[in-house]
Amino acid sequence: MGITVSKNQWMNVAMVAFAMCFIVFSSNYFDEYSVRILNNIAIFIILAVSYNLINGVTGQFSLEPNGFVAIGAYVTALLLVSPEAKQYQYAIVDPYPFVMTLHANFVVALLLSGIFAALLALALAAPVFRVRGDYLAIVTLGFGFIIKILAINNPEITNGSLGLNDIPEFSNLYWTGGIAIIAVIVILNIVNSKFGRAMKAVRDDEDAATAMGVNTFKAKTLAFCTSAFFEGVGGGLLAALLTSISPDLFDFFFTFQLLIIIVLGGLGSTTGAIIGTVLVIGGSEWMRFLDEPMHLFGYTTTAMPGMRMVVFSLILIFIMLFAREGIMGKRELKDFFTSRKKGEK
Amino acid sequence: MDVTIFMQQMVNGFSLGSMYALIAIGYTMVYGVLRLINFAHGDIMMVGGFLGYFGIAILELPFGAAVILAIVGSALLGMASDRIAYRPLRSAPKISLLITAIGVSFFLENAFNVFFGGVPRAFPVPAYLEVVVDFMGLTMPVSAILVPIITACLLAMILWVLYKTKYGMAIRALAFDVGTVNLMGIDANRIITLVFGMGSALAAVGGIFWAVNYPSVEPMMGVLVGLKAFAAAVVGGIGSVGGAVLGGLIIGFTEVVVIAFLPELGGYKDAFAFIFLILILLFKPTGILGIDFEKSRF
Amino acid sequence: MRKLVVLATSAAVLASISFAKEINVGVVMPMSGPLAAYGQVCYEGVEFANSLQPKLKNGDTVKLVLVDNKGDKVETATATTRLISSDKVVGILGALTSTNTAQVIAVADKKQIPVIAAVATNDKLTEQKQFANRVCFTDSFQGAVVANYATKDLKLKTAVVIADQAQVYSLGLAKAFTDAFKKAGGTIVKEIKVSSGDKDFKAVVSQIKTANPDMIFLPLYHPEASMITRQAKQVGLAKPMFSGDGVANQTFIDLGGDSVEGYMFTDFFDYSAPPTQKSKDFIAAYEAKTGKKELNSFTALGADTYNVMINAMNNCANPSDSVCINNEIKKTTAFEGVSGVINIDKNGNATRSAVIKVITNGKAVYKSTVNP
Repeated sequence: MGITVSKNQWMNVAMVAFAMCFIVFSSNYFDEYSVRILNNIAIFIILAVSYNLINGVTGQFSLEPNGFVAIGAYVTALLLVSPEAKQYQYAIVDPYPFVMTLHANFVVALLLSGIFAALLALALAAPVFRVRGDYLAIVTLGFGFIIKILAINNPEITNGSLGLNDIPEFSNLYWTGGIAIIAVIVILNIVNSKFGRAMKAVRDDEDAATAMGVNTFKAKTLAFCTSAFFEGVGGGLLAALLTSISPDLFDFFFTFQLLIIIVLGGLGSTTGAIIGTVLVIGGSEWMRFLDEPMHLFGYTTTAMPGMRMVVFSLILIFIMLFAREGIMGKRELKDFFTSRKKGEK
Repeated sequence: MDVTIFMQQMVNGFSLGSMYALIAIGYTMVYGVLRLINFAHGDIMMVGGFLGYFGIAILELPFGAAVILAIVGSALLGMASDRIAYRPLRSAPKISLLITAIGVSFFLENAFNVFFGGVPRAFPVPAYLEVVVDFMGLTMPVSAILVPIITACLLAMILWVLYKTKYGMAIRALAFDVGTVNLMGIDANRIITLVFGMGSALAAVGGIFWAVNYPSVEPMMGVLVGLKAFAAAVVGGIGSVGGAVLGGLIIGFTEVVVIAFLPELGGYKDAFAFIFLILILLFKPTGILGIDFEKSRF
Repeated sequence: MRKLVVLATSAAVLASISFAKEINVGVVMPMSGPLAAYGQVCYEGVEFANSLQPKLKNGDTVKLVLVDNKGDKVETATATTRLISSDKVVGILGALTSTNTAQVIAVADKKQIPVIAAVATNDKLTEQKQFANRVCFTDSFQGAVVANYATKDLKLKTAVVIADQAQVYSLGLAKAFTDAFKKAGGTIVKEIKVSSGDKDFKAVVSQIKTANPDMIFLPLYHPEASMITRQAKQVGLAKPMFSGDGVANQTFIDLGGDSVEGYMFTDFFDYSAPPTQKSKDFIAAYEAKTGKKELNSFTALGADTYNVMINAMNNCANPSDSVCINNEIKKTTAFEGVSGVINIDKNGNATRSAVIKVITNGKAVYKSTVNP
């Protein structure tokens, strides 16, 4: 047993080191397009891995990440945009005076983004976890939707549907990749802690877990808030990457995309969430050639813009048909190297 | 607020609510037998609208024939989607099924966008449906009156099938326990196919109503309507046909009435369906007429 | 001697390579997703203008590189980066809505690549940006046009404004109209908010009927506006209705049927009275190719983003010099485009005439031209 653990630790260290080398290498040698895709992937890894904590590990079918990401993005944007830039941005109504005075550096902004999202999750936990299963899904979907509508309807803070522009571009691969590594490590540690076991117990059989003395509400709330925290931070990183945000970014398609990522990768598997992110975010960029005219056996087809999404949906259906529990199932990368322990699943 | 305006709003809400109800029935029936939130259902409704449009504008069929084409076509599509995307996953985790449903939804939206274009097409409404009726100061087109009437007829038909026929009994049994149904010698897959056919046919009728009342069809028309109809099914208590109708009417009324009486909240209109839903679920976590699926079924 | 021949041929080959270059111009448009309808109509114009004039005056070929953004900001940012870093485009056209265009500009401005927006009318879009340009007029100009026309020419005193709060376009236009209308002595009796995607406006029209204004201003896109006119007709609401360019297309009339009779709106150009020679040629070629007897304003403006870009490239000694192209775009004066005569100022905003049209017998009929 002792040997296995140290072997695992050694592997983890090696993987983190590899990821760091990759970040340094790619930020120096890759072209901007590749770096931007990697940035997107890193941010979506943060979002997917944290979403997986509540949805996969704890088995609570939440559909709210778009709301938490929106909170994070707006907090970061409001704290980073300079007062001069705010001065000329608010088009529809004048902002509240306090909006003009908000200012902070990037680290504080990201932390506050996470904290605000986590606080919101804490406030919502009590009503949300009154319901279970698909009812939980629709309640959280509703809250996510309401957050977007609030962003549209409060132009004094959010500048309404135009959103906020000229956010300083702080995000780069060191930030996004670094925070992605931290998020993965923190979440894996939670999953393997006693809290993680409580979360899995809730997923496998909530009533049995209650009977065994697990405080299921506490386990669910902890998963919900942790996941919201990282989604908020991810939202902040996204705002500082795009430099421009608006409410239309945070509709339920955003959540669907994350849901597809974690289910495709294997619900409950952190490795799966990472693989799913790379496949969906990287793959949909790679498939852009489908929108262009194609040269096949000497024939040139006319361009069919939108074809990419048709093929994407077909591939999605087929992967799910053939890998019905997602690509990784509930397994993690280390399960392929260490002897399979039945109880661990 | 005088009485006429109030009555007018009630009639409007009833008409809109009936349309949500028609689509919500499909959600609730599929959920009843498969425990699947069929996200593609709104898009089946869109296909129904398009088929009606193709029938009238391209095949030059009379309106009635185009409606039948839409109903048959959508029912076949619904059954095909079950056969291809859902049936192979009967024993898989429910969430995998949900992802293929999202896949089917994306596929329909994008395929229609690529092959028929995203530009809304004007739906050719027969003149007799557009006649405006004036009744005691209330004005509305014939089509808006027909919607609740036809919805009521279809609901009666569905209830008859569910409670008075052999198939209906099988559907209800299936919602109760899949394993036992198979043991009783009933082919569960055939019954599920039937449910998809019925639900999709209703969605097609909903799609045609939608296309007639707001005379246009476009590939994304099913997204928001589908979502609200789903919310309606949950409000009413998912799994219950009566609940779906009740939920549809509640959501339709809420949207119309809130705008009429609190216009300054108009911006929050789309949120009302969900605020309402959250409130109801907080007090009755399984919807108004709902059944607790975690414990017992039907 | 043989060496000389080889040298000469290789020089000729080299020359032909360097002379007949292919220059990439990027287009970011929503070709799928909820905005696909508008993106497709606008891109049609860009593509058709490119097919009419594929070469610069020095013989270089202009190649369009289209990337679909699904109407999504993350994709817009990625697509713009791809165009600049992989496809090495010298300029970018499009992105349709103001929020997505703002996203394109946010990326392109830092890389000094000029952007020309076709239909993004939000006033704030070009503010504090060096490389942002547009060929359409701004919301404040359009709102003022309607307000002045309504108060001065039609002598209307009270108005109801229906704005779509999910659209920046709608809110900007509503505000511009409200300000100009009040300034001209009018009163706004009611402001109603709707959301795009709504279909049921029966509650809205009954409220307007109660408020009984002289006119209704609907800065909406055609799906919502046509629903409102139909439902207004059903309750017998017959007041003058006005919109901006969001309804300037045949689809609006098809959707609205006879309920849009008498409806007035501002537009960029009039199909039946082409403002320039270029416009006439474009319409003739477009008709010959598609058989359609109409030209959507979005298509015309899409074509003009391309035409202005080509014009600026032609004015540069090196047509691949993005900074020069940007400077030339901002020097565009009295340019005869498909949609009308376009001037672009140093802030990148277009000064151009607006046209007021009224729908008569199922056709948008030219009523008046308003110059800035």
